[in-house]
Amino acid sequence: MTTVPLTRRARPLVAARRGMLSGPGWLPWVLLLPALLFALMFKFIPMVEGLRMSLFKVQPFLGDQWVGLENYRTVLTDSRFRSALGHTLLLGIGQTVGALVLGFLLALLLEGQTRSLWVLRTAIFLPVVTAVAVIGEVWRILYFPTETGFVNSIAGWFGLGPFGFLNDPDQALVSVMVVGVWTAAPYNMVIILAGLAGIDRTLYEAAAVDGVSRWQRIRYIVLPGLRPAISVLLTLAAIRSLRIFTEVFVLTGGGPAGSTEVWMTRVFSLGFQRNDLGVASAASTLLLLVTVVLTLGMRLLTRQKESGS
Amino acid sequence: MRISPRRAAAALSAMALVGSLSACGGDDSAGDAGAPLEFWTRSGPEGATTYKAILAAFTAKTGIQVNYQGVLEFDTQLQTKASSKKLPDLWVNDASLLGTYQGQGYTTPVEPGQIEGGDAIDAATWQQNKGLDGQLYGVPYSRQAFGTLVRVDWRKKLGLPQPKTWDDLTALATAFATKDPDGNGKKDTYGMVVPGSSKNGYIGWWGISYIWQAGGDILAPAGEGKYKSVINSPQTRTGLEFIRRQFCTPGNVVPGSLNLTTSEAPFFQEGKAGIYLTGPYAFGTYDKILGKDKYEVVPMPKGPVSTTTLGDGENIYFGAGSQKSDEAKKLAAFLISPEGQEIGMKAEESKYPTVRLPVNRGVDVHKVLGDPRWDLIQKQYLDDTKTFVWSIKFQPIRQALGEGVNAMMSSCDSDLDAGLKKLDQAITAELKAQDVLG
Repeated sequence: MTTVPLTRRARPLVAARRGMLSGPGWLPWVLLLPALLFALMFKFIPMVEGLRMSLFKVQPFLGDQWVGLENYRTVLTDSRFRSALGHTLLLGIGQTVGALVLGFLLALLLEGQTRSLWVLRTAIFLPVVTAVAVIGEVWRILYFPTETGFVNSIAGWFGLGPFGFLNDPDQALVSVMVVGVWTAAPYNMVIILAGLAGIDRTLYEAAAVDGVSRWQRIRYIVLPGLRPAISVLLTLAAIRSLRIFTEVFVLTGGGPAGSTEVWMTRVFSLGFQRNDLGVASAASTLLLLVTVVLTLGMRLLTRQKESGS
Repeated sequence: MRISPRRAAAALSAMALVGSLSACGGDDSAGDAGAPLEFWTRSGPEGATTYKAILAAFTAKTGIQVNYQGVLEFDTQLQTKASSKKLPDLWVNDASLLGTYQGQGYTTPVEPGQIEGGDAIDAATWQQNKGLDGQLYGVPYSRQAFGTLVRVDWRKKLGLPQPKTWDDLTALATAFATKDPDGNGKKDTYGMVVPGSSKNGYIGWWGISYIWQAGGDILAPAGEGKYKSVINSPQTRTGLEFIRRQFCTPGNVVPGSLNLTTSEAPFFQEGKAGIYLTGPYAFGTYDKILGKDKYEVVPMPKGPVSTTTLGDGENIYFGAGSQKSDEAKKLAAFLISPEGQEIGMKAEESKYPTVRLPVNRGVDVHKVLGDPRWDLIQKQYLDDTKTFVWSIKFQPIRQALGEGVNAMMSSCDSDLDAGLKKLDQAITAELKAQDVLG
């Protein structure tokens, strides 16, 4: 890491901050200690243990057997993992794009200071604070695959359906995706709303004087202004979509016919139903590596764009 | 980088604190000679209530304290305990997990003579618990046969007889779905409840009776403790065709069943479906919610070959590494004693029996329960049941079976022959991985 010399303007600021937090140098460490301990116990030690297990045939009472990279080979050559990866990527891309577009539209609709908007925003935000398991149960009822099901009865008004939704291997993945978009869009909406508030209003006024259309205003003012917010959302969505589990597990358990099996449901099935913790750990480690690479890549890409712009 | 003394002190104190946390982490009593006996069962709140009644009688009699836990996500939790090498002193779970536990070294072998009252259990029942190495693992605790439950009020209202064959069963399911048996004027009733998810191999568990009734099977012995897959047979295909006929006749199976596990399929007690092939442990709950007079248990309808149904059970397993094996054996002796078995069968408070059919020869089902439904289940168990292969790690095989059958039922046009071939390959690969392929 290269150190950047402090500018003249920054030096007094840093000194002022140091003054505000004056105290013994170990104080920040003591304050951080509880969080560090929890991270160590529940994140880093299990992570290292997972790495170790991925190199062994795990059998605690008979002694673990060293198998080297065999577990990784098993994962990479397993066709079920390959199809799970395909489903994970499809779900990830679909949910990310869907939730971003829907969140953006919701934010545009609900931007403003009016009191009633706050009520509406809170109502729309509810899926984010609801437990995913509960969301899954509710959507399973909504998706009931006969004409008496809630969504099917609405589709019936338009002469459509009844659809199989989660019961049909051709529709199950899209049905899960819709639930994901519904759950994530309100969160995106809040971030985008914050981004919208940061855009200089005088730009809108100037644009109005120039007589630009609504679309041109979105294209040339709103979207460039939202770039930092969108970059954060994309990074978070990429990580979240790779480790997607609860929605799928509650809604379909990976079925029917494995049509919604994702990377983590396969890991769960191998680890806890087939008792193959070594291979499950190898698959988890690969997921960690991909996540790190993807996150760093995304940061690099957005940093380049930001510095280039 | 130079580490300042202050930083080093902070890091050391952090590590010391972590060390102390690790040392006192958890409230595990297993393996600790001074702590109460740790006993787990795979149970929800109702089953746990029944176990607590048995344990209260045990502690009153022996003075031995038991730290009991009814665990729902049992296998996950047991693995966590195994990873830290602190298994419970003993636990009760499915008999079909015997090979899995033995193969992973979770359980210790046992001889009938080591358990007081062990001679009250049939030699044949003991022999069911033989592992691949020829030793016995686990004490038999309970046995059962799956039974067909039918909404008797619906059946009588529609003027239909008890189903005696597969065709009768199909016709009854169709009638329940189409002839408004609850008389509410709405098309909101269905034929069969099917836990059809591939999760944990549920659909394999439910459907295996029909495969056996058609003369099909999953595995066959190949000598010297080895097995081969026999799933890809015309007989299994016949069984799967029957199952698919139910899935593909609208309403014969509750819609959405391909994603349901037993805990997510309350349609029988809710009055939405009229037929359920399930274990007799459900009687108490259904008596409470639905009413004893609303449903009947019928003899298994006959398939092309037989009326065979899934026989299953629960065993008491002794945890490896336990320092309280004497006390664990005393608890096992009480669990299989006439007193322990009767409390488990009657389930007076929860109505959820943890002992289904007693393993103790001295306990008479009819005398204890006086219920013709239980007499029928016992007759079915003695006359015509088959079990999974318990000595090998059967859980992965059941998982493969569940995934294969789930896939074949997901489309009415799926290629059953190709599906069976794929399933055969998956089971063969699993047998090979376990080194039991003959």
